[in-house]
Amino acid sequence: MRYIDEFRDPRLARKLVANIQARSTRPVRFMEFCGGHTHAIFRHGLRQMLPPTVELRSGPGCPVCVTANTDLDRAIALAKLPGVILATFGDMLKVPGSHGSLQTARAEGADVRVVYSALDALRIARDHPERAVIFLGVGFETTAPTVAAAILEAEAEGLDNFYVLSLHKLTPPATRAILDAGEVRLSGIIGPGHVTTVIGSRAWEFLPQDYSVPCAVAGFEPLDILRAVAALVEMAEDGRPAVVNAYSRSVRPEGNRVALEIMQRVFEVSEADWRGLGRVPASGLALRPKYVRFDAALAFPVDPGPTREHKGCRCGDVLRGTVEPPECPLFRRVCTPARPVGPCMVSAEGACAAWYRYGGADV
Amino acid sequence: MCLAIPALITSVEGTTARAEIGGVERTISLALTPEARVGDYVLIHTGFAIGVVDEEEAQETLRLLEELAEFYPDEVEVSQFPNLPISQSPNLPISQSPNLPVSQSTNEVH
Ligand code: SF4
Repeated sequence: MRYIDEFRDPRLARKLVANIQARSTRPVRFMEFCGGHTHAIFRHGLRQMLPPTVELRSGPGCPVCVTANTDLDRAIALAKLPGVILATFGDMLKVPGSHGSLQTARAEGADVRVVYSALDALRIARDHPERAVIFLGVGFETTAPTVAAAILEAEAEGLDNFYVLSLHKLTPPATRAILDAGEVRLSGIIGPGHVTTVIGSRAWEFLPQDYSVPCAVAGFEPLDILRAVAALVEMAEDGRPAVVNAYSRSVRPEGNRVALEIMQRVFEVSEADWRGLGRVPASGLALRPKYVRFDAALAFPVDPGPTREHKGCRCGDVLRGTVEPPECPLFRRVCTPARPVGPCMVSAEGACAAWYRYGGADV
Repeated sequence: MCLAIPALITSVEGTTARAEIGGVERTISLALTPEARVGDYVLIHTGFAIGVVDEEEAQETLRLLEELAEFYPDEVEVSQFPNLPISQSPNLPISQSPNLPVSQSTNEVH
C-alpha cells in the first residue's frame, strides 16, 4: 500500500540502524509516548535491531489504558440506565472497571454497541429517536476533533437524543506529568505522529525548552520510527535538544488548524483523571457551556459507587514507564488478553498486550 | 486508537468522500480536512480524514534516506521485518532478553 510499503524498505532500515550504531556512544532511554508506536516497534522487531546503548520504553499513549476506573465505572453505570444505548469503540468493551466491564453489563441486558466512528453513534441516535444514545468519548487529540465534529452535526440537525461522555485527554500535559515526576530517566521522547498531525509539532517545543529533552515526532512504519530514533540519538549525543519532525508527510508545525478549531469550539480544557498519573490539571476536555446539553455526565447523574483498583495490576506503573510488563507478577500467568486483569492487556495499544503478543512465550 | 491509515480519495460530495484503502472503498468525512481533493491521500482515523498526506515531503524523506544510505555500506543485516498476524506470532528474538539491563542485552544486530 502506498505510503506504507516504501517506509518498510529493509535496505534503508539497515542504513538507519548503521547510522544509529555509528552515532550512539552512551546509554540512552527514549520513551515512545504512543501505544501505536509500542505495537509497531514489537510487530516489526525494532527493539532488537537497535544497539545495546539504545533502550525504548513505553509511555502513557493508550487512551483506553489511561481511562481511570472512576470514569469507566460511570460509563458502565450510564450503560445500565433504562432507555440508554451506549456506543463505544470496541477497545473499551472488555476493560475491567471496579465491578465488571461494559461487556458484562451488556451480558446483563445493557444496550452497549460497538462503533467504528462517532458518526456511527449519530446514526444510531437518528434511528432510535425514542432512546438516549450516549457516545463514550475516549481518545486523545487525534480523536477529540472527530467527536467535536459529530456534536456539531448533531446540533445542526437538532438531534436531541445524542450525548457524549467526554473522557478525552491531552498528550502534552501527560508528558509533562511524567517528566515532572522524575521517576524514570528519559533522554528523549518519540512524539505521537497522529496526535501531532492535529496539534502540530510546535506543541512539543516545551520539551527541549523546559526540560532539555529532545523530541522526534514519528510515523508508524519502521523507517519512520528508526528515523526518529536516529534523530534522538544525534540530539542526545550532541547535547542539543530540539523538536524534529520525522513524519513530515503528515505533520506540520502548526498542525491541522480546522481540526483544532472544531475541537476548541466544542471543548474546553479541564482537569482529568489518568490511570497511573492521577488527577492532572488542564489535561482533559470538557464540553463548553454552549454544548453542555450534549454532556452525558450532566444529563444523567449516576452514582457509580466506590472505586476499586485491580489488585496486583501494575498497569499504572507501566503507563508511567517505571516498569515493563514482564515485571508485573500477574503478566501472562494470571493476566492474558482472553482474561485481562487490567486495561494494558486489553487494548490494541496496551503495552502488556504488545509484550504478550510479540514478546515470545518464555517472557 | 490513534491508528490512522493512508487512503486515496476517489470522489467527493460536500463534506463526505469515498476513499480507497487497500482495495476497499469506504465513505469518510472531510469535516476536518475540507482542503482534500480527489487524488489526494488522506489519513483516515475513526471515519474522518485527519490530514492530507504531503507527497513532496514523502519523496523528500525517501531521498534523504537514500542520501544517508550512501554513507553506510551494508555492514548490518536486517533481512525482512517480521510483520506477522497476531495468531502466528512466534518467539521473536526479543523474548530472550526482555528483562536484562541494557548493557547485557543481546539485542545487537548481526
Ligand atoms: S500484565 Fe495485566 S495485571 Fe499486569 S500490569 Fe499488565 S494489565 Fe495489569
